[in-house]
Amino acid sequence: MTQLTRGAFALPGTSLDFKTGNWRSTGKPVHVHAAAPCHSACPAGEDQQAWLAYMQQGQAEAAWRELVAANPLPAITGRVCPHPCETACNRSTTDGALAIHNIERWLGDEAIKHNWAYPVAAPADDAPEVAIIGAGPGGLSAAYHCLRNGLKPVIFEASPEAGGLLRSAIPATRLPRDVLDAEVSRLLALEGLTLHSSKRLGRDVYLDQLQKQYAAVILSPGCQAAWDWDVRGAVPGDLHEGLHLLKEFMDHGAFPEAKNVVVHGGGNTAIDICRLLKRSGAMRVTLVTASGLPGPDTDPADLINVVPRELTEALEEGIEIIDHATINRLILRGSQTTGVEIASLRKIRGVDGRKRRVTFEGTERIIEADMVVPCIGEKVDPEGLESLMNGRAYLAPTDDAGHLANAHTYALGDARGDRGTVAGAIGDGLKAVAAIAVDLAAVQSAAQEIRPELPAEKLNPVYFEVSSRTLAPTLPVAERDFETEIEGDIGRTAAMAEAARCMSCGNCLACDNCWTLCPDNAVLKTQAVTADGSHYVFDLDYCKGCGICAAECPSGFIQMAAED
Amino acid sequence: MAPDMNKLRDEQPRFCGLESGHRACQGCGEALAARLVMEGAGPDVMVANATGCLEVFTTAWPQSSWQVPWMHSLFENAPAIASGMDAAMKAKGKNTKVLAFGGDGSTYDIGFQALSGMLERHHNILYVCYDNEAYMNTGIQRSSSTPHAAATTTSPAGKESMGKRHLKKDMLSIIAAHHIPFAASASVAYPADLQRKVRYAMGIEGPTFLVVHSPCPLGWKHDSAATIEVARRAVECGLFPLVELERGTVANVMPIRNRRPVVDYLSLQGRFGHLFKAGDPRAEEERDHLQALADYNIETYGLSGQTDDNLDTTGAGIVRRGGGGA
Repeated sequence: MTQLTRGAFALPGTSLDFKTGNWRSTGKPVHVHAAAPCHSACPAGEDQQAWLAYMQQGQAEAAWRELVAANPLPAITGRVCPHPCETACNRSTTDGALAIHNIERWLGDEAIKHNWAYPVAAPADDAPEVAIIGAGPGGLSAAYHCLRNGLKPVIFEASPEAGGLLRSAIPATRLPRDVLDAEVSRLLALEGLTLHSSKRLGRDVYLDQLQKQYAAVILSPGCQAAWDWDVRGAVPGDLHEGLHLLKEFMDHGAFPEAKNVVVHGGGNTAIDICRLLKRSGAMRVTLVTASGLPGPDTDPADLINVVPRELTEALEEGIEIIDHATINRLILRGSQTTGVEIASLRKIRGVDGRKRRVTFEGTERIIEADMVVPCIGEKVDPEGLESLMNGRAYLAPTDDAGHLANAHTYALGDARGDRGTVAGAIGDGLKAVAAIAVDLAAVQSAAQEIRPELPAEKLNPVYFEVSSRTLAPTLPVAERDFETEIEGDIGRTAAMAEAARCMSCGNCLACDNCWTLCPDNAVLKTQAVTADGSHYVFDLDYCKGCGICAAECPSGFIQMAAED
Repeated sequence: MAPDMNKLRDEQPRFCGLESGHRACQGCGEALAARLVMEGAGPDVMVANATGCLEVFTTAWPQSSWQVPWMHSLFENAPAIASGMDAAMKAKGKNTKVLAFGGDGSTYDIGFQALSGMLERHHNILYVCYDNEAYMNTGIQRSSSTPHAAATTTSPAGKESMGKRHLKKDMLSIIAAHHIPFAASASVAYPADLQRKVRYAMGIEGPTFLVVHSPCPLGWKHDSAATIEVARRAVECGLFPLVELERGTVANVMPIRNRRPVVDYLSLQGRFGHLFKAGDPRAEEERDHLQALADYNIETYGLSGQTDDNLDTTGAGIVRRGGGGA
């Protein structure tokens, strides 16, 4: 320190010698790259916040590349996914969740239109080969992630075409066939990927053979067998099970004739069946479900498991829904259905903690019906998998990556028994292949990055403009048919505007607030991106720990933490 | 690898007139305000600084946080010293702009006549008052800028009184009476607006005046992290209107988009704690009084926003990826 005499002067900026950082008593600011709730909620493992950030910079192709790092089928999921990301979105606490699915769909369509290249390279000639059973969303995702990990995927599909339930169970009004074909064929065209279609497990190929021949086997057969359905032992002579009815309709374009139909179930297949039956001329279609309809007091665990907009559209189209009810009795003339007896029901937690269904005496009523369609779910068709099934309904792997008891054999998607969405199957493909890559390379798995989730109260909403959620155009009820897609495209302008609504939960916006508002000049800006993904560093030699930067960080990226 | 902080500090893409290492309290609104003013004004400036917090915490002997020529004056004569500096610059044929800094004690009370003289003689000086609404450096004594009903050590709240009995002095109206080219109020909650006003004043040849609302966590008794939020709510409720005067006439105001009740502002601060004492009828009366004062400001300056505006109290804060924010 320069020694100066009394009455002299101090040199400029010499207070830098005095480190005020040792004044901190209540904690220091840190950058916390917390997970945005959309990312935590995504069954496919997408980081929506990360790709929306590219959208905010006007870089649509970069956004798509970030998206397909996890999910190679955005044009499809943007249309069919029940989007738990939007349910989790922190913006839902202020002016409405982001319409993430509309942006995802737009990106997927742009990629098809401009033929953007998937970020994969062809595997080496001597790369290990992985056999994949089933070319549904799970199998396709697994094949794609094999390529991303330098493995050679070989898919065996029982049907003549790839797509799985996307083709057999999802109506064109939700997923137009040209979109399905375009996205799937782009994926199948990737160099190094082989598809053997019309090859059924247990008839054309055999599990033990595959296990010998390939470095690893991934099973994603889906659920092809219907659960047995009866009402106290009674089964109508002309029983039409939901998923098979839907497949028949997809193949032949017609349903068996019926005036009054009662559909029993509470999932997307049930709603799809209801809507298609109504459109093909049924006078009255009633859905009987044990779950509840959305309302302010609905327990999320009790909520009907349907894409929200599909439910809205079904109600618009005149589908009647009787919630919290079950079919108590079939009224038959001979073996023909003439009506059903409905009774109110609740799922009530018993003393053992398990939920049981209680029907209430005195609530029985009879509705006329000439067709009853059970849509109560499906199980794995055991053909070719007998050795793994042991009489169970699902493959039931031991962990999230899908490990089965046999070495190098994995199960994913609906066949696991604990999934239930297209996005879930896609995420399983990512996880199973990551595990295979580790197994085959015989290396320790990379340390899992554990990111805490960012709650809404850590955001500072003052810095975000109030703006309402973009609504997608919807086909009027009178114009809905069997081919035309019901929800429309929002277009580039709206997609960009909607992406701009993202509050970037837990991620640096580079907005300069911390740099501008530090009274102690202890936030320094950097030109290069720092290791924690921002453009700022804290100079803890001078930070007094006031907490202004954390309080005024719009996205919760800065938080106060205890001193080391 | 940890970045080289000294090198990084030298390479910051903004002018730094007030360096780190100063001894302001945690969350000091005045330190922030002075840093923002220096960024907007520098580097070709010199400062005359009245006695007060800013002078004390930036120049602990033998160090200085200032990166520009800076001179300490008495409590009452910063405008007079600045006038002399301005005259010296004229004599030397230099264009260096003189800034004069004072707190509200120095500006509203002790140095008031010197300030009036400086404005009247039409010196080329930007005078900035850092208004933290009491004599904070000497231990939180009331000033003529302390708002009505705020408790200080010389206007305590208790059985006999409800904090300061008198009103906050309407300084801008007095400044307006001098018909100077530009006078404005600003807030640390709106740094872009503050710096715009500084730059505008810097471009004017003649006396200009800026009063910056600068929360004091110690004296106002609020959390050090709440400095910006407190300042923002003062503007949003109308108690601290952001206005611009040219030649004594209101030329511009920052419209309020979402008007807050004054209790949102008061309840964050311990100095107004007695206004929230249950069962005290005086508390309700004083809250209503302060609300009436805020309503008066909104009506007088026409602060109610008619439509959403990019520069109203909400629009001015909006951030976007990659800057353009606060």
